[in-house]
Formats: sequence, structure tokens, C-alpha cells
Amino acid sequence: MIGRVVALARKELRQLFASPIAYVVGTAYVALTGIYFFQHLVSYNQLLFVYQSEGLTGGGFDQGTVPSQINVLNEVFVPSADDFGLFLLVVLPLVTMRVFAEERANGTDELLLTSGLRPWEVAFAKHGVTYLFVLLLLAASAIYPAVVVARAGLGFEHLFALYVGQLCYGCAIASIGLACSSFTSSQIVAAVIGYAIPFVMLDFAWLSNAVSEEVAGRLKEIALLSHYGTFPRGVIELSHVTYFASIVFLGWLASLTSLELGRAR
Amino acid sequence: MSARIEAQSVSKRFGPVVALDALSLEIAPGEIFGLIGPNGAGKTTFIRILTGYRLASQGDVRVDGISVTTDRFRVQAKLGYACEQPKLYGDHTVDAFLRFMGQVRGLSGARLRAAIGLSVERMGLEPVRRRRISVLSKGFRQRVALAQALLHDPSLLVVDEPTVGLDPAQQIELRRIIAGFRGTHTVVLCTHQLHEAQMICDRVALLDRGRLAAIATAEQLRADGSLEALFLARVGQPIHSEGAA
Amino acid sequence: MAFLPAAGLVMILVGVASYYATRSLHGLSAFSGANLGLGVLLVIAGAAAQLKSFRGFSGAASRRVALRALAILAAGFVGVIALNFWASHWTARVDLTADRLYTLSDQSRQICAELRGGAGAPIELVFFEDALLAKDVRLLVDAYAGDCPEVQIRDASRKEPPAGAREIYTSTATTVVACRGDVCDPVGYPSERNITSAILRLASARAPRVYFLVGHGEVDLASQADAGYSGLASLLRDQGFDVQAMVGPATGEMPSDADVVIAAAPERDLLPEELAILDRYLEGGGRLLALTEPGLRSNLYSDLLLRFGFALEDGVIVDEATSPLLKDPSPLNLLIHLFAPYSPVTRTLSRRTMVLMPTARPVALARKPQPDDRLERVAFASGRAWIVGDVAAALARRGLERPDAAPEVEPAVVATGSYPRGDVDPATETAEREARVVVIGDRDFASNHLLDALYNRDLLLNAVRWLASDEARLALTDKAWTPNQDPLTLQQTVAYFYFLAFALPEALLLLGIYAWWRQRA
Repeated sequence: MIGRVVALARKELRQLFASPIAYVVGTAYVALTGIYFFQHLVSYNQLLFVYQSEGLTGGGFDQGTVPSQINVLNEVFVPSADDFGLFLLVVLPLVTMRVFAEERANGTDELLLTSGLRPWEVAFAKHGVTYLFVLLLLAASAIYPAVVVARAGLGFEHLFALYVGQLCYGCAIASIGLACSSFTSSQIVAAVIGYAIPFVMLDFAWLSNAVSEEVAGRLKEIALLSHYGTFPRGVIELSHVTYFASIVFLGWLASLTSLELGRAR
Repeated sequence: MSARIEAQSVSKRFGPVVALDALSLEIAPGEIFGLIGPNGAGKTTFIRILTGYRLASQGDVRVDGISVTTDRFRVQAKLGYACEQPKLYGDHTVDAFLRFMGQVRGLSGARLRAAIGLSVERMGLEPVRRRRISVLSKGFRQRVALAQALLHDPSLLVVDEPTVGLDPAQQIELRRIIAGFRGTHTVVLCTHQLHEAQMICDRVALLDRGRLAAIATAEQLRADGSLEALFLARVGQPIHSEGAA
Repeated sequence: MAFLPAAGLVMILVGVASYYATRSLHGLSAFSGANLGLGVLLVIAGAAAQLKSFRGFSGAASRRVALRALAILAAGFVGVIALNFWASHWTARVDLTADRLYTLSDQSRQICAELRGGAGAPIELVFFEDALLAKDVRLLVDAYAGDCPEVQIRDASRKEPPAGAREIYTSTATTVVACRGDVCDPVGYPSERNITSAILRLASARAPRVYFLVGHGEVDLASQADAGYSGLASLLRDQGFDVQAMVGPATGEMPSDADVVIAAAPERDLLPEELAILDRYLEGGGRLLALTEPGLRSNLYSDLLLRFGFALEDGVIVDEATSPLLKDPSPLNLLIHLFAPYSPVTRTLSRRTMVLMPTARPVALARKPQPDDRLERVAFASGRAWIVGDVAAALARRGLERPDAAPEVEPAVVATGSYPRGDVDPATETAEREARVVVIGDRDFASNHLLDALYNRDLLLNAVRWLASDEARLALTDKAWTPNQDPLTLQQTVAYFYFLAFALPEALLLLGIYAWWRQRA
């Protein structure tokens, strides 16, 4: 069983990195995160310069020279984390759209499902490799923040919390995309639905005018961003990890259901 | 050891469309059994049910007594399947693809290497072993499809339209390979090529509009004239319930 | 009809994306709304059409497999919803911030624990979810929910604040208000210190009373200038003390409710009657905090404090090891980092939690009044400090050369005294009452300008709490935020940017081109 899953996972990895898509997506994400992180860092440097300059405060040691709210956490990492989350939302459906849909379109799903592979093994391997890709993506983008953290004394633990949050968030979005891919043989349709669902689930703010406060409150509880905000602040809450793990699980279950329903058609 | 196949009143409906209608037949171990019929006769549908890719609406297919409906993984362990217009991973080399399929089949280490070596030798794939599948000719791709189906030495080989699009030399070679399985493997050969079925198969089933129109042995076909005559005589006619020879 | 759901989804996507792109300008625009509405309609119509044309799962086996798969999916959904509903009540979390910003300090937890079983209405923290700082503060409030179950948390909205908080809310941009019944306390800036202080104020049955001596040139508690001491009074009130000014005891005796008396650097002599009253007060188990300053002369130092064992020879401490932290730095500025580790006044202070004193008078020990009295020097200048007797010259930066003979011990800037008085209980071996005195050789460390510098307030609060017999509640300190320093210089930032934000994507792109070429080849 493990051997089959590993073999399938390796096949998926090979296919993933044989295609230029993975590199284009990786390039786009790393470039975007680097540029936006740089922008925030420059703004923070300029803000510090303004506070510490002689003209404004008289210089020297003075409590209140730089308010405690102006710090690397609030001015760089938290806004960057918001940007990083948005970029994941933009690039991941491009990766997930082909995972199941391409197999179905090419007919190779028949090859897989008639060679003794269990549907859950197929779903597990494909999901697992995609999450691994998310991890690699995040690892590549972490170099720049890690350098800053090492200098700012923010603590690598804090950066770890930030990236745990991004991993959870990214895997959840990938899982939704994979589920969408499993229900169609068209990569375009898979991509469109893979974008639509996470965007709709982002924070449901667009519905706030149309529903009562209580409903809006309930919707907020299932919105993606409601569960993402504490990670950039350095706190890993078990309830939020559970939320994202639940989405990952449901996405895998949906893919499995799709494979079973395909056989029953 | 080769497998015995029993199909009992297998039906498949897609909404109002009846793809298979109470198809019953038996295939003996070691036999090369042909399935012929016009487009839409239900050949591929039957193959897909036999391989466990689809479920029958009614009835069941058993391989060595194992039900495909309830225990498809045990059946799939016994069979190798080379589909129509081979579905392969073009970005893999032949070697990598066979290694992947062998691992999926539960082979590893020395056993896997030996199995790949044997399949490669049997299918004459040595010259193209290190090449990517996407650059191979159709004939070689068919051979790769057959090679992966044989890796785990299945007792049942299901081959769907193996010679479509091949040049005559490739067709002759592939028929020779398939014919060579007689006695050691049970082969279900699905084909449009009537003369091919007549040449290779021990028995041929003629499907028409989802039903079994006729079954004939090779001798009977030679005695009656040709499979073409049988085809013309039975296809499009009202179907009687008798079938097996 | 298959294009309907796809078209609908595209419209929903455009609607949502355009909403997020423009919501800061005008919320949900007509364009966004139209796309969303029409998109939803198309998806529903397409789904209905698909269902109508659905040919179903033919055959018992197909239906069985399909139903089982769908049932498992449905069970998964239900299970996940239940799990998340349950999980929403979990408070388990890991605080990985460098300074554990969102984990309550031991002091806060202790204060919370002391609320357990207390009489009266429960204390409530009203958290305004839609306040400006709400996002940042939510985690801290959740920490109280998890670690301080004695305090209830109530989420509220700015639009409808609860009754007691309404008045407070409308006058401040508050994120958190602490309430007990109808009485509410504005927390101010929502830090742990301020929140716990508010809890403390609401919880105190009777606030310990602190009297400041005035009328002898002591510090100006009303002044809000940098050199004023309004911050000192505010701080003590925030910490739950009732602060009063006492213009030399008018009644002939110290008020009976005086828990602590603070003599904040008197510059003139006290009247003999006043000295006598203070003496009787201390002998009766009173508590005194005396601040002084180089150059001050008063009989408080030369008579009363000397009698209680403190030698306050006039002079100023010079220290070579100081750091230039003040605007006009000088070797008179002391960075106090040597503390007695077991004294309740200094045990929370260390080499990493220093106190800044711009100038300090040495506090030495003299003969103690009674044998059982305990005198202790608890905070010291560095080993490279010495004392200059000519204060005026020293303040004018003259005569600051290091003497040939270095002092044998580090000069102390803070000393404490405990004086057991009255009969001794044989069972507990403790005296009926105990007087306490703390002498600090500087007053400016507690000024508005420097009270929040480094750990100055901690020293002050520790001293007052010890004198008020409340040493368990040591100073509540705000967690240090991440240092306000340039993580990288601008030049370094640009260099790293070119190397990492361009070079790495470039490498990935080249790899991709290679992969594409290999595929084509």
C-alpha cells in the first residue's frame, strides 16, 4: 500500500516538475512576495528614520521616540502575511487545475484505476504532492523574511508561526482546487471553480449588506481570513489549525467521492 | 496460470441508452477470445466492466470466481490491461514508466528489475528504453502499453484495439506477440479487424447493440466461410438468445 | 447548458474580485452586485439543468456505490462541522512571539487567581470587536479568556456598547473596557499592564492609601512637564493605590489609614513636630519611601533616616561604565544593573532589566536602631563608580576625574530596612508589627520624563508594593515589543532584495525554461 502511494507520488512529482507551470508559478510567487516584502521593509525603514531624526524628536534616548506600535511585527510581517496569502490564492489554482483534470482528459485515470490502485490512494498521493509543492513554494519565499528576522530579533519561532499559517492556508486553497479538478476533465473549468470558491470564502464581507448580523457573524466563522490572522502575529491556535485541516480533509474526501462516483456512472 | 472468465447477464445502461443488454459468456483459461462488433456495440463498455473501471447496471463478471463488482482489486491484480489508443505518461521514459507501473503493481527491487527486463525483451523495447514515450511511434507506444500490462505476469490480458493506426509490419509483429500468449495467458482481444480476430483468436464473440449476436470458434469460422460473412449475416438483424458455441 | 454554471462562476469571481478591489471607495458597487447576483442565478440555473439531464446511476450496484460515497462525504462534512464547532471553544495555543506578547505574565495570573471566590459581581472585559486596534488586541483578550477564567469576556460592538461602558466608550477610542456590575474602568491603551491594572482596581476592596508628604519642596505631583511627577501619581492610581497629598500631618498624628508614606525628595527641613510624628509612625510599624537627590539637605535625611540606619552623606556617584542614553549624556548618568537578588524590592530586576538614574546620591548604611532590625543595600552602581563630594562642581562637570584610590565596594543607590516592633509571637516568631523603609538616592528616575524608561517604574512599584505588604504583586510590566530598530539598513535591504527577490525567481524561471526545452526536445 505504502509502496503504491509512494510510486504514485513520485510520478506526480516528476510530472509536476516536468511541466513549466510549476516553475512559472514558483517564480511568480517568489518574485511577488519578495517585492512586496521589500516594499513594506522600505516603508518601515523610512518610518523609523522619520521618528528618529533630530528634527522631529530631538534625538537621543527618549521614551516615545518610536511608539511601541511601530515595530517590525506590525509594520512589516503582518501586512506582508496578508499579501502572501493573496498571492497563494492567485497562483495555487494554476497548479491544482491539472492534477486530476489532465488525467481524466488524457484517459490515464483509466490506467491508474484498473491497475489495482485504490481511489483513496490516488487521491492521497495527488493531494500529498500538491501540498509538498506548497511547502517548497513557501520555503523558497521564506529566505528573505528569515534574513530580516535574524537581524530584527523577532525570533525564528515567530517566523515559524507565520509560515505554519501560510502552509495551512495554502494547503486549504490547494485542497479546494484539487477537489474542483477531480470533478471535471477541463483544466479551465477546474481553475475557474478553484478560484471562485476560495475568493467567495475569503471573508464573506461582500455579503454583509445582504444578510442579518447574526448570519454575517456565522459566515465570518467559516471565512478563510478569520482563521488566518493570528499566525502572522506569532500565535498558533489549535482551533485555527483544526479549521484548515478540516478543509484539507474535506477536499481530499471530495476528490475521493469524485473517483468513486466516476466508477458508479 | 491463466484465468477463467464468466459474464452473467451483464447489462449497462446510461440513462435511456442501453450499452450492454444481458450479455452472458464464458472464456476458458488460456484462450484468446475476440470481441468484435460495430461502433457502439458495447465492446469497450464490457472491457471497462471487466477491468473494474465501471460498474455493471446488472449482472456480474467473475474472474476465477472473483466478482469484479464486489472485489475488483483482487481481479485487477490478476489482469493486465492495454487500452485503446494507449493512455501513457508521455513525459516519462519507457523505463521510468514501466518502473512506475511495476511499483503500482506491488513489484520492487530485483523482482521489478527482472519483470521490466522480461517485458522489454518480450515487446522488443530495448532500442527505445531510455526514450520518452511522447517521442515514440504509435507502434512502440502500443508495445509499451502491452509491456506494462505484462509486468506482473497476469493470468488475464485485456487488449483493446491493439493494432489501430499501425503499419502492416507492426500489425504483424503485434499479432505474433499476442498469439504467443495462447495457453499461458487468457487474452480478451477487442478489435475492429475481422481478419485479425479470425487469425489470432480461438473464439470470437460478435456484439451488436449491446447484445451477444453470435459466438464462433476458429474452426467454425473457417467452416462457415469467414468472420466477415458471419458479421454481415448477424449485425443489424434481430438478435436471438442463443450465442455460445 | 453546461456553459451556464461556468459562466455563472466567472461572474461570481468578477463580482467578488471587483468588490475587494473597490470596497474602500464605495463598498458593494452596482457592478459587483450585478455580477454576483447574476452569477448566482446562472449557477443555480445550470445546476438545475444538469440535474434534469442527469441520467442517474443505473443499477443497484451503481446506486449502492454512489450512495455510499455521497454518504461518506456528507458524514465528513457533518463531522468536520461538529469538530470545528467544538474546536471554536478551545483555547489551546502556542505563543511564539519573541517576548511572549500574548501570554499572560505570572503576575496577571496571580492577580486573576486571587479573584477566585471573591464576593461581589464578576469582573468583565468588554471587547469591542470593531475597534481600530481590535485585530491586534484580540489575541491578548483571548489570553485572558484562557488563563484568567475568573474574568469574563464579552464581545461588543461600537454601535451598541453595553450600559456601563457606553459613557466611557464614547469619550475614548477604547478597545477594551473592564466592568464590574455598573462600574466600568477605562483601560486606556489595551496592553496587558493596563488591562490587569483595571482588573486590579475593580477588584480591590479597599485601595491601599499612599500619602505624599508635601510642603517641603517635594516633587510636584500635579506637573505634567517632563520634570514633573504627575506620572508617578497616575501610575500608583493605575496600580490600585489611593493617592493623597498630606501637607505635613495637620492633626498631630499620621492618618490612621496611611499604608505608605512617600517623602519624595524634600528640599527643606521638616518641622520638629513633623519629624516626631514620622518617627512615631515608623516605630508603630509604618512604612516610608524616601527619595533623595544629590545636593538636597533636609533633616529627614540627617535625622530621621540616620536614626533608622541610613547614612546619606551628600555627594554624587560618578560611573565610567554608564552608557550615553540621555540627550546630554554624562558620567553622572547611572545604568543600575547590579541588584540584590533576594530582596523583594529588586528581585525582578537584573543585568537585563536595568534602571536609569540621571544622577544619584549614595545610600550607605549606618548603625541600626535595634539589633533585630535588618538593613540591606539592594541596588548598586557598577564596580567602576566612585563618589564625588562636591555636588555643585560635579553637576557642572568639574572634578570628575577618577581618584587614585577606588572605593572598596560599589556605591549603593537603594537600601531597605525592616524593623520588627512590638511583642513577638512565639508560635510564628514574628513581631506584632514591622516598620519598613526604602531609601532611593535619586528622584528624577521617577519623573514624567524617565518613569517609563527601562525598568524604572518596576523599581518604584516594587518598593511601594513591598512597603504596602503587597510584594506578591510585583510590578506588572508591559511585554517589550520587538525592538524598534532597523532590521536592515536601506543599503542592505536593497542588496538582499536584488540577490533574493530577483535572483531566486530568475533561477526558478531558468529551470522552468530548461524543463520546457527538455519536454520539447
